[in-house]
Amino acid sequence: MGNLLEIRGLNKTFGDFDALSDIEFAVGRGKMIGLIGPNGCGKSTMMKCICKVHEPSSGTITIDGNDVGTMRPSEVARLVASVPAEAGPTFGMSVMDMVMLGRYPYINKIWWEDPEDERIAAEALRTFGIYDLRRKQVSLLSSGERSRALIAKAYVQEPKLMLVDEPTAHLDMKYKLQVMEYLRSMSKTDMTVMVAEHDISLMARYCDLCVIMRKGRIVTVGDPKKVIDADLIKNVYEVDSRVGLDEDGEIYVLPKRYVSGT
Amino acid sequence: MENEEETRMKRLMSKAKKGLDGLKKDMEDADESEISRKKRRFAVICVFGIIMSVIAFLISISISSGGVIPVSEALSAMFSAIGKGGENLDVVELYIYQARLPRAMAAIGVGAGLSVAGCMYQAIIRNPLVDPYITGVSSGAGCFAVSIVAVGLSFPFIGSGSLYLIPAAAVIGGLIAFGATMTVAEGAGGSATNYILSGVIVGFAFASVQTIFLSLAKDNLTNIMWWLYGSFANITWENAWIVFVPSLGISVAAMVWAREFNLFMMGEEQAKQLGMNVKLFKRTMMIVASVLTAVCVAFVGIIGFVGLVVPHACRMALGGDHRLVMPASIVIGAMLMLFADLVARTAMIPYELPVGAITAMVGTPVFAWMLIKKGREYDG
Repeated sequence: MGNLLEIRGLNKTFGDFDALSDIEFAVGRGKMIGLIGPNGCGKSTMMKCICKVHEPSSGTITIDGNDVGTMRPSEVARLVASVPAEAGPTFGMSVMDMVMLGRYPYINKIWWEDPEDERIAAEALRTFGIYDLRRKQVSLLSSGERSRALIAKAYVQEPKLMLVDEPTAHLDMKYKLQVMEYLRSMSKTDMTVMVAEHDISLMARYCDLCVIMRKGRIVTVGDPKKVIDADLIKNVYEVDSRVGLDEDGEIYVLPKRYVSGT
Repeated sequence: MENEEETRMKRLMSKAKKGLDGLKKDMEDADESEISRKKRRFAVICVFGIIMSVIAFLISISISSGGVIPVSEALSAMFSAIGKGGENLDVVELYIYQARLPRAMAAIGVGAGLSVAGCMYQAIIRNPLVDPYITGVSSGAGCFAVSIVAVGLSFPFIGSGSLYLIPAAAVIGGLIAFGATMTVAEGAGGSATNYILSGVIVGFAFASVQTIFLSLAKDNLTNIMWWLYGSFANITWENAWIVFVPSLGISVAAMVWAREFNLFMMGEEQAKQLGMNVKLFKRTMMIVASVLTAVCVAFVGIIGFVGLVVPHACRMALGGDHRLVMPASIVIGAMLMLFADLVARTAMIPYELPVGAITAMVGTPVFAWMLIKKGREYDG
């Protein structure tokens, strides 16, 4: 049982801009990984390289022993699923329609899906508590419901690695915690979940490992309880903060002021 | 008094039974598999579509500027004329065989083709305001068609008085404009926004050249106005097949990729992540939709509204699954065009109105009603 994901010497450039430089880390199975860093630090670019939406400029990405660079897109889609931050306009698509799209990598028929695909999709909808909404249009869902529907779509891909981009953006406290609970419950199975998120306290609470990034480079990788402190926050975000432990022993981060020119 | 009470009770019981039946039906529907439900709806669309298209077709061949004849008579005249192979026809047979039948066929092909082309573009570009003319096909086609009339040009392979001169110019112009749009859009990165902006600027360029030719061709305007506003008046048996077979054929064939169009609704990155070759699919479908549009506009000119609104109307009624939206677009587009052509040729006898104006006049109130009913829940 080796690592599920291994990234070695990953670089990605867009023209003259180095979006990712010398990225190296490895994560095991059944873990929840937090990607933390300021806007534009390369979190989304790295996730897009992992799921082969972007081709890396150099370096290798290995998932479950398979080199992503040599795999066909449909093969990668059976190993990795990604959850976008937003659904965008869906032109009248229902929740079930959207979740069923996650079965695309497994379907060989031209027209209709198999009953087995539908059973898997229905099970996912029940797991995330949105089965009763299956015929509702995606555009009519609340932010919390939409977020769960997007996760359900990725879940039916039956991936070994799920990449989730800002799942709690626009959500209130209740739904933030609910979504994070769902993601953590998935990571308790064999699936590894990698989450890019700005709420550091939430990440510290739920993640087994965090990858801290700044300007396309990795600053540090480790147990959030060990690596997150006020100096790290200042170095990464250019912000003075108070980092402490609450009564449950969980880390909280309170930003205090912006420090320019750090 | 007792009777009154009895009647009231009976009425109540009947209401309760109806309510229970309704509930039972709802529960059955709730348990039904989504795939079975969709297959049933697909079958209903096909059966309903074929029946309604046949009815619209029969009405269309029974009414014309010459008057109304009974459907049975029109039908027997049509079969009789077909049986005779178009030779030695009586007056009614001749009228139906030569004037109404080819027009009805062309209307079905163009209505279906423009609706499916619009549906494809809207899905690929993910923009609700997109219509089949977004890649500049109509402007390029219009520019070339007008220039042929204005300057009196002809092609080496087509004589100057030929029926095919304007259609050939339109197809060539449309495809040149499409090629220019593709070149600019791909050069800019190939995103959906790049396609829209490239189509708009290429369209403007060809439209401005067309305006210059129009101002030069003041004396010949009537020869080209029918094309610029759309008309089935010049459709004959010779060209009806050239419109009908490819447009309906491409429309039906495009349905094979209905699930891929569904995938595109989630955005290009999500489609790519799910294992689709996004670039190849987008390029291929843009070419297919543009050829389909060029075939539709070549002989009948520019007909607006259908390609923009029919796919939206179908999505509002049936949801976002293209396995239902595309066949429904074929049916509704064909029916709307048949009806619009009927109105265009009979509303102001002996004048024939531009069919493009009629499609909008007929379709706008219907679509406005749908928008009021369903607009709040539709984010297309």
